Parts: sequence; C-alpha cells; structure tokens
Amino acid sequence: MRPDEAIGSETVEALEARAPFRFPREMVVGLLALAVAWEIVSWFVPPFIVPGWGRIFKSLLGLRLDFVLVTLARVVGALVVSFVLGLGLAVAMYASTPVERYARPLVRLLMAVPVVCWILFAVLWFKWVEFRIAFVLVVVCAPVFLVDALDAMKGVSKDLRDMLRSFRPTRVQLFTKLVLPATVPAILTSWKINLSLAIRVVTIAELVGAVTGIGYGLVVAQELFSVSEVFAWTLILVVILFLAEAVLTRVEERILRWRV
Amino acid sequence: MKGAGAIDVAGLRKVFRHTGGGEAVVAIERLDFTIRQGDMVAIVGQTGCGKSTFLNILIGLERPTEGRVAIGGRTPYGDFDHFRGTLAAVFQQDRLLPWRTALDNVRLPLELLGRAPDEQARRARAWLDRLGLARFERAYPHELSGGMRQRVALARAFAIEPALLLADEAFGHLDEVTSAALRTTFIDLARRQGHTAILVTHQLEEAIDMGGRILVFGRPGALLADIDLHAWPRASVAGLRGDIQRMLQSNAPLKEPPA
Repeated sequence: MRPDEAIGSETVEALEARAPFRFPREMVVGLLALAVAWEIVSWFVPPFIVPGWGRIFKSLLGLRLDFVLVTLARVVGALVVSFVLGLGLAVAMYASTPVERYARPLVRLLMAVPVVCWILFAVLWFKWVEFRIAFVLVVVCAPVFLVDALDAMKGVSKDLRDMLRSFRPTRVQLFTKLVLPATVPAILTSWKINLSLAIRVVTIAELVGAVTGIGYGLVVAQELFSVSEVFAWTLILVVILFLAEAVLTRVEERILRWRV
Repeated sequence: MKGAGAIDVAGLRKVFRHTGGGEAVVAIERLDFTIRQGDMVAIVGQTGCGKSTFLNILIGLERPTEGRVAIGGRTPYGDFDHFRGTLAAVFQQDRLLPWRTALDNVRLPLELLGRAPDEQARRARAWLDRLGLARFERAYPHELSGGMRQRVALARAFAIEPALLLADEAFGHLDEVTSAALRTTFIDLARRQGHTAILVTHQLEEAIDMGGRILVFGRPGALLADIDLHAWPRASVAGLRGDIQRMLQSNAPLKEPPA
C-alpha cells in the first residue's frame, strides 16, 4: 500500500500547487507584432483604408461606451434564455424518445437557416427592436446548447450507468447524480462557442432598426465614413470576446478541476 | 441488515441477439444451482463462459432469455426496485464518478437510498478509513492510483452494508501485490459482515482464496463442477487445483468426480 500512498499524496500536492496564472508571452508577442505591422502599413496607405493607431485611439475615446453595456446585456440576456430553452428541450428529448424523434429534424432545420435569413424574418415578423435582436440570438444559440447537451447526455458511459443502476436509483436520481453532471463539460464548451457566436451575431442584428448598441455604432460610423471609428468598434468587440473567453476558461478550470 | 435470501438459478439461458440481425450469441447455455444465504462463492471460468453475463442478470441489468434467477423468491430484473439497498457490486473497472471526490463517491449509494446527510458522511468516512484511505477523502479519482480507486469502489459497495455482495473480476487487472491485498480485504470484510458474497474471476487462486464454494463454469455458460472447499481436506487442495485446470482446459466435467 505504500507506493499507492506516495503516488496519491504527490498528485494531491501537485494539484494544490498548480500555478494559478501563467503570463501568455507568445500571445502578447504575436499581437504586438501584428499591431506594429498595422502601424507600418498605415504609413503607406490612405487613412480611409488603414487608419493608424493614433487615429483609432482618438476615435475610441469619442465612442459611446454605454453602447458596449447595451450590447453585452443583450448577449447575456439572450444566452441565458437560449440556455434555459436549449437545456430544457434537451432534457425533454432525452427523457422521451418520441419527443426526440419529432424534435430532432426541426432543430436541424433551425440550424440550417442562415443568420441573415433570421434577421430578415425578425424584421418582417416583429416590430419591437429588442425582441427582434433577442429572437435572432436565441434562435441561433439555443440549438447549439440543445444539440451539445443532448449528445453529451446520450454519451454517458454504459459502465457508469450500470454501476448507478445496480444501486436502484429513481429516474430523477439517475439524471441528477449521473447524466447531468456528466454533461457539464459539454455545456461549458457550448457556452464558449455560443458566446463568440452571439457577439458576432448581435452586431449584425443591431444593424437593423436598433438605435443603441455596438451594431448601431458601426452603422453610424460607416454612414459618416469614419473608418477609424469602425476599426475602434471592431477593436472593442475583439477585446470583449477575448475577455469573455478568458473568464469562461477560468470558470471552466474551476468547475472541471476534477479532470486530469 | 436483512438477509437477501437464497439465490435460485433454474434452467437459466441467455442469448444475445443483435438489433441489426446477424447471428445470435449464446452467452449462457444452461445453469442450475442454488446459493444459500451467507455463502461465499467464487465463480471461476475462462473468458466467454458467461460469468459476467450471469452477474449482470443477478444484478438485474439483464433479463434471462429462458429460465429464472431469483433472490429470496424475487427476480432481480422483474422486481428491480425491491433490491434497493440489498445488493452492491464491484466491477472490473472502478467505475467511480470522476467529478466526485473519494468521499463523495462512497456517499453516492447512501444518497440514492435517501440517508440523512450526516449519516452519509459518517458512514462514508468510516468505510474509507477501514480501507486505509482516510487521508484521501478529498482526492478526485484521477489523483489516485488504480489500487486506491478500486478500494474506493469497495468502500462504496460496502457502505450500504448490502446483504448480497458481487464482485466481477474486480482485482484481476491490478498488479499482483495490490490485487492480493484487495482480495484479502474483500474476503475478510465480506465474511465479517456476514454477506452472501459472489466473486467472479478467471483466476483459480482467487477462487481458492475465497475459501467457500467454487462453481466452475464452462463455455458457453454451463456448470462443470460445484465444489465445497469446506468439505475438502486441506492437503488435497493442490490436486483440486489440477482438476479444475483440466476441466477449464477441456471445457468438460471430469469423468471421475474429484477424489
């Protein structure tokens, strides 16, 4: 039993000593190189094609930063609704084979429709702008949550299922003690996918009819021919996406610390 | 702890048919025997003799194709929920839930039985402690060695103090020293708890270590011999070993019964 214990204690300590943060040197160097190249190109190209960093930062200071909060609120709100709907339907489809057989083709149909078409439908069907945006985001993101969660639920190993069943759980217990926790990694992954999807889709949705938000800011910039402002908004979007992904990764590390 | 009652196996046959057609596979040809309450039984046989299938039927995970398996008069497949809290199994792989710590894995069956949270924790700790894992209750399975994980699985099975304890090749894949140690622990604890214990194995030594009854399975799923070690003089165990080896190799009962 001695060797066992040595291995065990070593790994427990190693886990506790795991470095909480590592400076992402390669990423910073890569991004800096790109920024420098951009600046150099801007010296040789007119500013309405590639504006220099000076112009971009100047535009950045003049932007309506409350638009960022508005857009973020739309994204988060729609993702929460999508998650609840997606997971709820996934549970229903998991629990009942007929429900799954009927619903799966419909979900595939939803997923096959291009985003642009959803935006046009939203404009044709709904008057209220906030609802249009929420509709587009939910219809795009909810199926991703649904399909990923359902596949993960169905992929729970038979060995673990048999082990649990040998103890005679109720259906609810089988689901809450085994199926749902086993689905958590897939759910976190679909949050990551959907976050970047939603941030990209929301700006397009905001192009149609909204008078707030980053998408609207982009339209205004384009109408004013302010190229540096377009770039400034783009920069903000990219930074938001990076930050959101970083936050989610940290959450994932915390929740999935049981993984190797 | 209530007893599970005797296990009656009568005319048991199990055939697997693949859903996409194809040939049916006979996993168990025919089995008839009885296991008394409190018996320590080892089922020994080569790969493909249906011993794991038999165990799955006993657990209630598979339905017999023909014949009947009953524990205390009730069938584990048909009366599935009746056996809540009465039987527990240890499998070849530890089958721990990777997102639960060692302690929470041992608590799992107690949670399923609806025991009070403080009782769950107390019992789970006590069993981890008995299996020498008190220091590792907060470790996740991936932080433990194979032997330690299997000990957690043992603790999980013992935690509900089942009347019927089943082990399916539970120690065979570990190194010899760890395997022997775990086997001793298993047999010792099972004996002390007064459980009916069934150990399925392909290793003859394991079967003899159990020290109770040995059922020798031939392929596919037929009883070659039913040996009671208690009725066996110690000196002739070596001869018995040879006899069982011969039966397993020839897949037939001995012409003359073991002397």
